[in-house]
Amino acid sequence: MTQSVAETSAARLAGTAETGEAVHAVAPVSLVGTLPVLGPTTARRVFRHPAVTSALSFACFILAWWAVAVWTASPIQLPSPPAVASALIDLAQDGELFDNVSVSFVRLLISMAAAALLALPLGFSMGLSERVNSYVDPLLEMLRPISGIAWIPLGLFIFGIGGTLPVFIMAYVAFFPMLLNTVAGVRGSDRKLVAAARTMGVSPLRIVRLVVLPGALPTIIVGVRIAFAGAWAAIIAAELIGSPSGLGFAIEWYRELLMSPNVFAYIIVVSAVGYTCDLLLQLLRRRLTPWASGAELA
Amino acid sequence: MEAPGTTDPKLRLKGVAKAFTAPRTLKRTLAVTGVDLAVEAGEFICIVGPSGCGKSTVMNMIAGLDMPSSGTIEINGVPVAGPGADRGVMFQDYALFPWLTVEENIGFGLRNGTPGNGLSRGEVEARVREHVELVQLAGSETKYPHQLSGGMRQRVALARLLANGPDVLLMDEPLGALDAQTRLILQTELLRIWGETAPQAARKTAVFITHDIEEAVFLADRVVVMSRHPGRVRAVIPVDLARPRDEHIRATPRFGQLSEEIWGLIRAEAYEAIA
Repeated sequence: MTQSVAETSAARLAGTAETGEAVHAVAPVSLVGTLPVLGPTTARRVFRHPAVTSALSFACFILAWWAVAVWTASPIQLPSPPAVASALIDLAQDGELFDNVSVSFVRLLISMAAAALLALPLGFSMGLSERVNSYVDPLLEMLRPISGIAWIPLGLFIFGIGGTLPVFIMAYVAFFPMLLNTVAGVRGSDRKLVAAARTMGVSPLRIVRLVVLPGALPTIIVGVRIAFAGAWAAIIAAELIGSPSGLGFAIEWYRELLMSPNVFAYIIVVSAVGYTCDLLLQLLRRRLTPWASGAELA
Repeated sequence: MEAPGTTDPKLRLKGVAKAFTAPRTLKRTLAVTGVDLAVEAGEFICIVGPSGCGKSTVMNMIAGLDMPSSGTIEINGVPVAGPGADRGVMFQDYALFPWLTVEENIGFGLRNGTPGNGLSRGEVEARVREHVELVQLAGSETKYPHQLSGGMRQRVALARLLANGPDVLLMDEPLGALDAQTRLILQTELLRIWGETAPQAARKTAVFITHDIEEAVFLADRVVVMSRHPGRVRAVIPVDLARPRDEHIRATPRFGQLSEEIWGLIRAEAYEAIA
């Protein structure tokens, strides 16, 4: 239902865009007579293509950055794009970049797995049982507003400097969106489908596995995406202070050495890894839940 | 007390009432009350009534998905305690599993529920296959529900219902979402699959909910007319039209008389419902 409505409105939007174009295309004819009008229209189409628009916006950003860098002429505060690019190449050739990326990435995977191991079973029990929910929910609502970063000082006392602290912080950050989306997904799973399975003599445990789980999956995957984004943002802060390795550590290390191009190079890598992972998660969602339309997830 | 199973009807509702309590106001509303009905094995019963008369509530209680607030529901003289595969349900919007293919939807109960008990793997597969063919869906087995037309989804739901081999078929406006032409075709098909050409002993027992009076007259042995506020049985009209029935029966005077009689019972409330 929602899908078809979305499709119709999309079609309608496309339709208006077409008509808008047609109106523009007609105007030059009446003015210039027989001149071909195809040219400007095709150009306009090209400039609408998402790949072209994003490349353009990216280019504008780099140019603006470069202009400000030249104007301020302070390579420590703002290194120029070529300086950052060459730093990025050096770090990559050196192998240091990949070492730090893999250290942080492995921490991310461990923390996501730990968060999922806690959040999914708890989310299912909270979603299925109002009683469990009434006990656990108040506690969680109290913890949730506390940023993961707030636990870093205490974490330093408990775990010391090392790999455990960032993993703990990330797992904490990832836990809440995973849990809340699991609860929402389980609660939102279609009651009619559960009823249908019950009338077919399917046992409650199997109903959870075969009906509630797939029904909740699209929402759970959205939770995983939110969790991932939050965890990846938190890892930098955690490694900045509490770790002798990883991307956050590298940023802090080069800051102390006043090597801004390297700091910027690492920041770009943080963004690139985060973006790639999100794309992969979206791909995973399409593979795992091909029946769920994008519209429902928005 | 008579022994259960000997003289009992297939399905019996005795003084069934259902009240719902609103979550916040705690106000109790009586959805249905005083429903008495006995359905013989092999009988096709249609329940009609204006919207809000509790038709679906009655069906959910027979299915065991809802418990009556008072009164009892018996199958072969045994009180209903919960849902069971002896009573198959076809829901209004079909309730197909969107993540399963046509074939997997039809085989869901056989593979995961009690209907598959005591059947070998090969027997299960054969039965699924047979029901895919029964509703003429061969060639579409690997499609997902969202890739199907309304009529095809309806067939999948019917095949899933029948594949589980229930004694009692419970159908909640299964043709409601279809266009008029498809509806007429599927009504005839439904009668064929139910076993209209077979002797009564070989037929399934069917309870079919609809708001379409002519559909009810065309399908049913008896039409149960319900009225609302609260939902209760207004009248039970026997349909004395010969079986097997086909399209032409709609043009007979008796068909018109019966439809008219039922409409007469509902008319006032139907107008009230839209006012």
